[in-house]
Amino acid sequence: MTELYTDGNDAAGLLAEFMAADPTTTRRRCQSCHAENPLAAHRAYRGAGVVLRCPACGDVAVVIGDCEGELVIEWRGAYRTRRPPQ
Amino acid sequence: MIWRMTPISRGFRGRREPEAETGRLPPGQYLTRDFPVLSAGPTPRTPLDEWSLTVHGAVDEARSWTWEEFLALPMETFTVDIHCVTKWSKLDTSWTGVSVDVLLEGAGPGGDYVEAWCDGGYTTNLPLEDVTDGKAWVVHEFGGEPLEPEHGGPARLLVPHLYFWKSAKWLRGLTITLDDEPGFWESVGYHNYGDPWREQRYWSD
Amino acid sequence: MARAAVLERLSRRPPLRWHTATVRDVVVESPRARTLVLDMPEWAGHRAGQHVDVRLTAEDGYQAQRSYSVASAPELDALELTIELVADGEVSPYLVHELRPGDQLELRGPIGGHFTWSVPDGGPLLLLAGGSGLVPLMSMLRHRAARASDVPARLLASVRSPEDRLYGAELETLEPRAGLHIAWTYTRSPPPGWDGWARRVDADMLAELGPGPDERPLIFVCGPTAFVEHVATLLVDAGHDPGAIRAERFGPTGG
Repeated sequence: MTELYTDGNDAAGLLAEFMAADPTTTRRRCQSCHAENPLAAHRAYRGAGVVLRCPACGDVAVVIGDCEGELVIEWRGAYRTRRPPQ
Repeated sequence: MIWRMTPISRGFRGRREPEAETGRLPPGQYLTRDFPVLSAGPTPRTPLDEWSLTVHGAVDEARSWTWEEFLALPMETFTVDIHCVTKWSKLDTSWTGVSVDVLLEGAGPGGDYVEAWCDGGYTTNLPLEDVTDGKAWVVHEFGGEPLEPEHGGPARLLVPHLYFWKSAKWLRGLTITLDDEPGFWESVGYHNYGDPWREQRYWSD
Repeated sequence: MARAAVLERLSRRPPLRWHTATVRDVVVESPRARTLVLDMPEWAGHRAGQHVDVRLTAEDGYQAQRSYSVASAPELDALELTIELVADGEVSPYLVHELRPGDQLELRGPIGGHFTWSVPDGGPLLLLAGGSGLVPLMSMLRHRAARASDVPARLLASVRSPEDRLYGAELETLEPRAGLHIAWTYTRSPPPGWDGWARRVDADMLAELGPGPDERPLIFVCGPTAFVEHVATLLVDAGHDPGAIRAERFGPTGG
């Protein structure tokens, strides 16, 4: 059945809500150790780009390619942000 | 890129050295005399009695060296320029290490690509021909002194003709592969090959 | 439709864009620190504890960017940043020694909702500063004073020597107000005749300072990464709820 899916345009509102949230207060549940911590508490390392690591287990949480003109981001784990009251 | 309306900070120069060495700096690079420490994670601290270097994967014969065996390999001391994608370049850096050609001697590599893998989980990918014929080393000394942990000690890969993220710190092994697999930074926007002279910094280049 | 309403509200949110700020004044805070008093017409205000990104552009287009905590209270009509010289720094020597009234900077922010405090958040407040980590905590105390709040607050500021102190005189005038206690510790050389703490923050110091975990304080720790890790560990060991501790790490340099 091809009617079971729409596309990213339909999910855009939800995605935009997530992206508009303050990253420091967004919480991440680690895919490795399952600890939950705000992104503000994650450890940031500067290499070519930026790596955020879980403060509990050190595993990679977010990798950011700080490429001029472009940002590339890989998110690992589950992210949680409060939705503003509608 | 700066827009027409970007205000210029009167008198600001940054930490750059005057560029007296035209021709030695790839496009977009600035000369520095310090040695910035950049990393994707905390500095690993593998004790030397637990350290090994391995060449394996698509090879006829995998091999591995302990620290003592590694130090007994034929070493060269040489001087090269290095170029970081974050735009600093450092000229005339002196290193001591073993040529990757020596590490591959007799291994019979059967693939065209290499994945360098490291303590801490960092990886980077290169074509095999970019680490052979005298183009790459595994180094353990910088400026005549043992390579400091924050700069990749005990040993790191050194591939000076490519951006410095390819010179993987805390190297533990080279895997010869049949397919080219993007490494850590190559997976998040950084150029798969990384030639500073063609300014290949990012995917869009 | 629900989706349209969300997108419409998001489009009204001010984007995080670079704006030009003009230096109104440069105030000497200490031999190595200056407060930049800035005017920025598009500044939309901030919460105490937030920071801004500052970007400098050289004549040839070279750019450097750093983050600085907002020092001023949200209630102030200007935006103030306190910059401390970083040894061998690239940006701080320019901001501390070169910048003059009339010069311009690019600024982006305010950034960061996690490391913030407002009077309605309550207390008691426990603020722990290492070196220039005092800057965002000063914004909190200035906000507290501007609101004439008597939320109990304790500040411990760790510096190397008296000439590294920021806001010394102002903190002295703030202290007598209800419920605020200020303590300094000097890790290298205390002032002559000093009978207070003269050592790195330790468990005994925190116990003497209070409040204890039973009072469930809101805790803010700011300064060099090593200071923050050291103090946060002491606080957790003393029984404080890790979730009540908010930290901002400035990296390896300073204090």
